[in-house]
Amino acid sequence: MSAVLAVARGTFREAVRDRVLFLVVGFGVAALAMSRVLSPIALGEGDRVTIDLGLSTLGLLGIVIVALVGTGLVHKELERRTIHVVLSRPVSRASYLVGKWLGLSGTMAAAVFAMGIILLAVAVWMRGPQAVGPVTQAVFLLALSNTVLAALAVLFSSLSTPVLSVVYTLGLYATGFWTNDMRDFAQAMPGALGSLVRGVSFVIPNLELFNLRPQVAHMETAPTIQIVLAIGYALAYAAAVLALAVVAFERRELK
Amino acid sequence: MTDRPTVLAMSMTESAAIQQPGPRLETSRPAVRVEGLGKDFRHPWTQRIKTAVHEISFEVPEGGVFGLLGPNGAGKTTTLRMLLGLLPPTRGQAWLLGRPAGTPESRQDIGFLPENPYFYDHLSALEFLEFSGELAGMSRGPARAQAKELVERVGLAHAATTRMRKYSKGMLQRAGLAHALMGRPRLLFLDEPMSGLDPIGRREVVDLVRELKADGTTVVFSSHILHDVEVLCDRVAILRAGRIQATGTLDALLAGHSAGAEIIVRSIGPVALPPEFLGVGIEAIAGRTRLTLSDAARASALVAWLASHGHEVISLTPERRSLEDLFMELFQGAHEVGGDPEQTRVERRKADRRARA
Repeated sequence: MSAVLAVARGTFREAVRDRVLFLVVGFGVAALAMSRVLSPIALGEGDRVTIDLGLSTLGLLGIVIVALVGTGLVHKELERRTIHVVLSRPVSRASYLVGKWLGLSGTMAAAVFAMGIILLAVAVWMRGPQAVGPVTQAVFLLALSNTVLAALAVLFSSLSTPVLSVVYTLGLYATGFWTNDMRDFAQAMPGALGSLVRGVSFVIPNLELFNLRPQVAHMETAPTIQIVLAIGYALAYAAAVLALAVVAFERRELK
Repeated sequence: MTDRPTVLAMSMTESAAIQQPGPRLETSRPAVRVEGLGKDFRHPWTQRIKTAVHEISFEVPEGGVFGLLGPNGAGKTTTLRMLLGLLPPTRGQAWLLGRPAGTPESRQDIGFLPENPYFYDHLSALEFLEFSGELAGMSRGPARAQAKELVERVGLAHAATTRMRKYSKGMLQRAGLAHALMGRPRLLFLDEPMSGLDPIGRREVVDLVRELKADGTTVVFSSHILHDVEVLCDRVAILRAGRIQATGTLDALLAGHSAGAEIIVRSIGPVALPPEFLGVGIEAIAGRTRLTLSDAARASALVAWLASHGHEVISLTPERRSLEDLFMELFQGAHEVGGDPEQTRVERRKADRRARA
């Protein structure tokens, strides 16, 4: 466990100093400010638009960090052979990958929570204390959904090139909000095709499970069971993906 | 205590039979034991198999300095990577400090300096060493204290808090050495440790390896620079195209073959040697004559003959066979990189280009 934490700390420390991260966070803050500037043209729905846009920006920020930092994470180490430095120590490949995932998730969460605090302050200023619960829950689940994508990024990064990893990760992010719809489509499709689409819909991460934007729009808190389910799903999905990554990575020759 | 050297230019099936461990090996547990280790690489498209390391076997006794010597492409780095579990071997087995190689447990008490090390751009040497110590199982406080001590030891104290992306090649090499020493390992693998270092840096590494040896640390290092190996190693294994050509203690390997001698005489006239001294080189230099023999055993007979014929012998210098001589002998006719006689001309040209780059 100490090796996992050491790799996670090293990954976090290296990632938070990357200029890309500052650029992404800077972009997020600018987008948040922009949404506030544009809110007067939202026909009386300015507050709702600001918070909704803020949450969307946060989601985008998280996935951009995961895509930019995460997809090159293992591949860059393989290419530069810094991985030899880590794996020549008494560290298993499984500990290395889990540590990388934790470090990446930590980096993403730090950025999302930093932005989330700004969004929360803006929401409380506009809507009062009733905004605390819904916005906090939404930001938390948003970060949680990105930990699932971070696991996928680690898997792709350990098997493929950074460019392909970005394509795969963003592809799954985009389709992740359509899994429920895919299941509905599958029912209307003939036998084998329907089963295939239904099967695929279970493989793709169900990101809609983490989306609390409709509740936030009405300043409602989500039921605890939904939060617990989302946490359970995120942990199970990330564990399955990381297990797959470990199996594939164990066989990899580190030339 | 003598140790029998083995000079091999044959398949390792034969070499395994010939390689006789000396008495020292039998009395102490080896730090590294390699039995029939080999590695094949398969081309992803053509599926053609290329053997990087054939079935090699050797042992490294605890507390010594062992050199893996060979030209570029001989299989030194591949062998080290197999020992460290970075590459799974295709065949054979190895043990590090008595533990089967390739497992995380086998890397306890082990330090490694990779060839041309490249580290994390955004970390300073101190942070990196602290990280390295934690990976070695140290807790933060002791790791930090040892990191500070090691940056001093490798001459990086002035840049200890500078991010490593600003480091020169030599500074990275020093950081790599410090990393290898984190956790005070009992067994140290150094892959081309002198690479990128200036003469002062090279000297410092030599001193450092000697200090480590004095402390009882076992050092295994790979190099194609013969002088480094000759200066530091007790034992060597010379690799060519993935096969061990010679292994044993350096003294035994160099003494085991005929060495020459040089005799300088003040001559009363031209030196005309009788037929029994056929092959002795004669060279007149400013009133003196320099005689060179390829076999030092004949030197005393020649000195006696010279004295009896009125030539005043000024000096007799036995020539020690250098590692370079041995190396050239083993690689005679092998001009290609890696010394692989099975390489095609195209492969040789490619390897040459890589080596030049």
